[in-house]
Amino acid sequence: MEFVQNFPFFSILISLFSGPLCSVIGGKAARRINLAVITVIGAMSAAVLNFTIRSGEAYVYLMGHFPAPWGNEIRVGVLEALMALFFCVVMFLSMVGGSLERTLEIEAEKENLYYVMVNLLLSSLLALIYTNDLFTAYVFVEINTISACGLIMIRQNGRTIEAATRYMIMSLLGSGLLLLGICFLYDMTGHLLMSNIKEQVQLLHATGDYHIPLLVTVSLMSVGIAIKSALYPFHAWLPDAYGYSTLSSAAILSSLVSKGYIFLLVKIFYRVIGFDIVRDSKIVNVLFAFGVVGMIMGSVSAIKEGNIRRMIAYSSVAQIGYIYMGFGIGTTAGVIASLYHILSHAATKSLLFVAGSGLTDASGDSTSFFDLTGAGYRNKLAGVAFTVGSLSMVGFPMFSGFISKLLFAQAAVDSVYYKLLPALIALALSTILNAVYFMKTVIRIYTPAKREEVQRRGFKNVTVADQKAKSVALVCFIILNMALGLCSEPVVRLLREGLGMFS
Amino acid sequence: MNLANLANNYEEAVAMLLFVIGFSNLLLQKNLIRKIIGLNIMDTAVYLFLALKGYIEGRKAPIVVDGVQSMEAYVNPIPSGLVLTGIVVSVSVSALMLALTIRLYRRYHTLDLDEITTRLKKEGL
Amino acid sequence: MDAWILLPVFLPVLAGVILLISLALEKRKKGEEQPDTEPGEAELRSLHKYVAVALAVSGVLALAAAFSGEYSVTLFELLKGIPVYFHVDDISRLFAVVISVIWLVVAFYSFVYMKHEGKEQRFYGFYLIVYGVLMALSFSGNLVTMYLFYEIMTLTSMPLVLHNGSREAIMAALKYLFYSMCGAYLGLFGIFFLYKYCDTLTFTAGGTLNLELAQGNITILLIAVFGMLIGFGAKAGMLPLHAWLPAAHPVAPSPASAVLSGVIAKAGVLAIIRVVFYVVGPDFLRGTWVQTAWMTLTLLTVFMGSMMAFREPVFKKRLAYSTVSQVSYILFGLSVLSPVGMTGALLHVVFHMVIKCALFLTAGIFIFKCGETRVEQFRGIGKQMPKTLWCYTFASLALIGIPPTSGFVSKWYLAQGALEAGVGVFGIVGPAVLLVSALLTAGYLLPITTSGFFPGGIVKHFKIDEKHEAGSAEEASVRQSGQENNSVTQADVGRVAETNRKADSLEPVPEMLIPLVILAALAVLLGLFPNPLINFAGRIAASVL
Repeated sequence: MEFVQNFPFFSILISLFSGPLCSVIGGKAARRINLAVITVIGAMSAAVLNFTIRSGEAYVYLMGHFPAPWGNEIRVGVLEALMALFFCVVMFLSMVGGSLERTLEIEAEKENLYYVMVNLLLSSLLALIYTNDLFTAYVFVEINTISACGLIMIRQNGRTIEAATRYMIMSLLGSGLLLLGICFLYDMTGHLLMSNIKEQVQLLHATGDYHIPLLVTVSLMSVGIAIKSALYPFHAWLPDAYGYSTLSSAAILSSLVSKGYIFLLVKIFYRVIGFDIVRDSKIVNVLFAFGVVGMIMGSVSAIKEGNIRRMIAYSSVAQIGYIYMGFGIGTTAGVIASLYHILSHAATKSLLFVAGSGLTDASGDSTSFFDLTGAGYRNKLAGVAFTVGSLSMVGFPMFSGFISKLLFAQAAVDSVYYKLLPALIALALSTILNAVYFMKTVIRIYTPAKREEVQRRGFKNVTVADQKAKSVALVCFIILNMALGLCSEPVVRLLREGLGMFS
Repeated sequence: MNLANLANNYEEAVAMLLFVIGFSNLLLQKNLIRKIIGLNIMDTAVYLFLALKGYIEGRKAPIVVDGVQSMEAYVNPIPSGLVLTGIVVSVSVSALMLALTIRLYRRYHTLDLDEITTRLKKEGL
Repeated sequence: MDAWILLPVFLPVLAGVILLISLALEKRKKGEEQPDTEPGEAELRSLHKYVAVALAVSGVLALAAAFSGEYSVTLFELLKGIPVYFHVDDISRLFAVVISVIWLVVAFYSFVYMKHEGKEQRFYGFYLIVYGVLMALSFSGNLVTMYLFYEIMTLTSMPLVLHNGSREAIMAALKYLFYSMCGAYLGLFGIFFLYKYCDTLTFTAGGTLNLELAQGNITILLIAVFGMLIGFGAKAGMLPLHAWLPAAHPVAPSPASAVLSGVIAKAGVLAIIRVVFYVVGPDFLRGTWVQTAWMTLTLLTVFMGSMMAFREPVFKKRLAYSTVSQVSYILFGLSVLSPVGMTGALLHVVFHMVIKCALFLTAGIFIFKCGETRVEQFRGIGKQMPKTLWCYTFASLALIGIPPTSGFVSKWYLAQGALEAGVGVFGIVGPAVLLVSALLTAGYLLPITTSGFFPGGIVKHFKIDEKHEAGSAEEASVRQSGQENNSVTQADVGRVAETNRKADSLEPVPEMLIPLVILAALAVLLGLFPNPLINFAGRIAASVL
């Protein structure tokens, strides 16, 4: 066993313990520790990724000294390490990008508490990514929910508390279903470790016993996670939560938290149940239908929205729909497209949130669509970044969104007949709707504002030098986005390899 | 599926019934406190289910005081462990929910979430 | 290493980006106190030199790349099995050469013209970038690469439309973006299907469709191809996605509308040629409902475009509608799927590019010199700018298709192609529509010549519009119309005549006139000596059909 194999465990542990540490020190120090922790964990994940690519197979890491059926395990493959690395990168950039807003919007004496939440969130995300134990996954799902709730309500106004409450309620409904599903599985198979459950489930499937309970279990877990990750009809909390929380929270929530759950769902599909059984269970068709509806309805809501933050939030609803549609196609190609979209959406959505806030900074902190007129001139970098993000969302070649659309469409074309047309039509429609609201915004921010209006409202020009941290984050996000858009082949290959290691 | 099955597994049926009650309360009630009660009912139902599944009639807890007997003498301790973990989780979640409720009540003097939302919209925040 | 053929792509893009960056830096240096100061004469001259050199060098490189043999370059893999791949073939040559010539000529024209629009550095920055992207589009070797640059072309050409930054311009640019994007996505979804059912997406003369694979999915494949035709047809102004053209042209600066209409609309044609003749294969479409629908749409567009142009009083809008109609001539020639028709279409691509640019440059001169935009205000303009109007007249004759000008040659081939192709009733309806549309073309283009040279009665005296020194277009035109009233109410015929006689000529400076003369001369000469072109186009057509 090589030393690098310990890193996944270390990274969970470091982030877990840096949480309480942050609670007893001051805000500034907590912030430094937080960034350091994310950096260290990112570096570790990169090392692990490198290791797994070289070794070409996944490895299992015992937690404690008990072997397989009893002990708790961590399992690390290419996909897990890649996700961990990517989450760290996005989280780091989001934290850097939102640092200014945090000092403004969070009471100074509570700032360290924010970092407690972020560290806990990171540790729970890592645990969700790495764990091989279903019940551990459940516990960390709850920790994830609680810390995400903290992230939403740290900025104290009525909206955020209401949003946090709604978020909690929806999340609890979801995790209740998930927990019940896990209990059913445990009841049927007698195991909690994913690999062991899968053996038993395959056996059950082969003999045909417990057919209906198995179906119910798969549905419970899928629906539970779908609720938690704000699939279309369960998205009511989302626009408020993303729209009114502080910037780094919105970026992290939209790009990471829901993706953590979705990644867990992928693990359940591949490592717990087996994708063939999931496909036979027809639950994928339900996910497909909801995904397709979400793609359209999310965009429609976004078009109607006059507040730019909420508009970006609604766009998330549509993007989550894309991801579920990919699962719903029911082929490995579809799942790979969804996984790629997780990455692409994480990179793009956090970029949009940060860029959007850069634009509102130049418009007297007003998030109203009309006040953004000419904001692209007042804050040039944010304008460019927002344009890049929008183009990526619309699926313009060169940016990451194009590749995920390409992958989705390829997957759809190769799928069964009755899914092909809905998928492609939904993709086309949703793309056009995306173009409607994002291009509208881009044009708006590049429409010159009347000079008197700008002076009357006291809109200030924002230069790179004014917002160094945000600018750095924006530039990095743009690079990340273009890297995903232009050099997607290695990433897709890693995803494919990683998914291959799942079974 | 016949009724005899249901009668034989009435404990599980009760657990499921409780789960549904809790779930629908959490989902449909307007009052936040009732929602939280629903949440607890839901969680408890799951623990009941787990505990039921973990218990086998006529066996003891695996606490060895008078020498190890054969494997068949003990029940699996893991389900109970899971229940304990689950309780911890649900307690912390309930606490958070209650804290949120207090916050909201102090601000808006109502426990009705929909009304709070309408008021927020009126505030135009 | 064949990678050097990408130099004409990267060089102008790089030059353009440098321009834009230096613009941003300069603005920063100047600070916010005087953000909108116009550059001085010396600065402008060096800017023009820079643009001219960059364009000329890349133009020469493009010609070299086009004519020194067959090259292919794979840049990198976008996705597994989908490389970004460039290949030079005959179609690439045709487009690359014509685009380069037009781009250079229009650039020289705009050196003078853009003085009155301002923000020149930005204009030339994007102008250079679009040139590079167009070269990449011409050299693209597979469908995805072409799509990539097609989209980039849309985006980079958008600033040319919204150049003056007015609300109208922005709305028009938005419309342009919208139609192009919707169209491009229709195209993209077609690409997905073709990706599945074709052996390769690399352009191969005659198509790469795998009929065994496609068996049983013919209907859906036909729908996909039809979607692609509609989608890429948006750029070419084909019904039903044609509405961006008349919106975008009047607001764009004249050189920009010239290249939008002349060149960028042809990018849609290029895309359709690539899809139909190099990927799907004409045999697959022959005799299907797609061909019928396509022919119907093109003929409708031809007729409707001419009608709208005929009724349109704003000069540039009239020309835009004319583009709608004329580009569909090309598409009609393609849609009959016969070698002669395709030869005609390719000829018309070249001729229309030259002619339409000439016409828009004339419109630009009218706006530049006297600030007039409406057709009825051009009465008597020929007295003061005879050379310009003569150029206009020659270009118009060519567009109408009066022998021996170039338009005649291409239309002859188009009509003959339709008659020979064996497309049933369309073989007769097609040429008939073309003929009617030619009459309409005469009807909407020639009155400007006649009333310009022979105004009859009292005419106003055009004055040099000092718009580029101060004031906006609206102001200028208000001032002009006021003056018009004055001169008419004075009713002092003799005095007006006297002023007319000693009127200083309004003829533009040679830098502006020469590009126009070159284009007009080309429009005629290509008709007199069409044989090399016909042979070339015929060779292309023979290779794919």
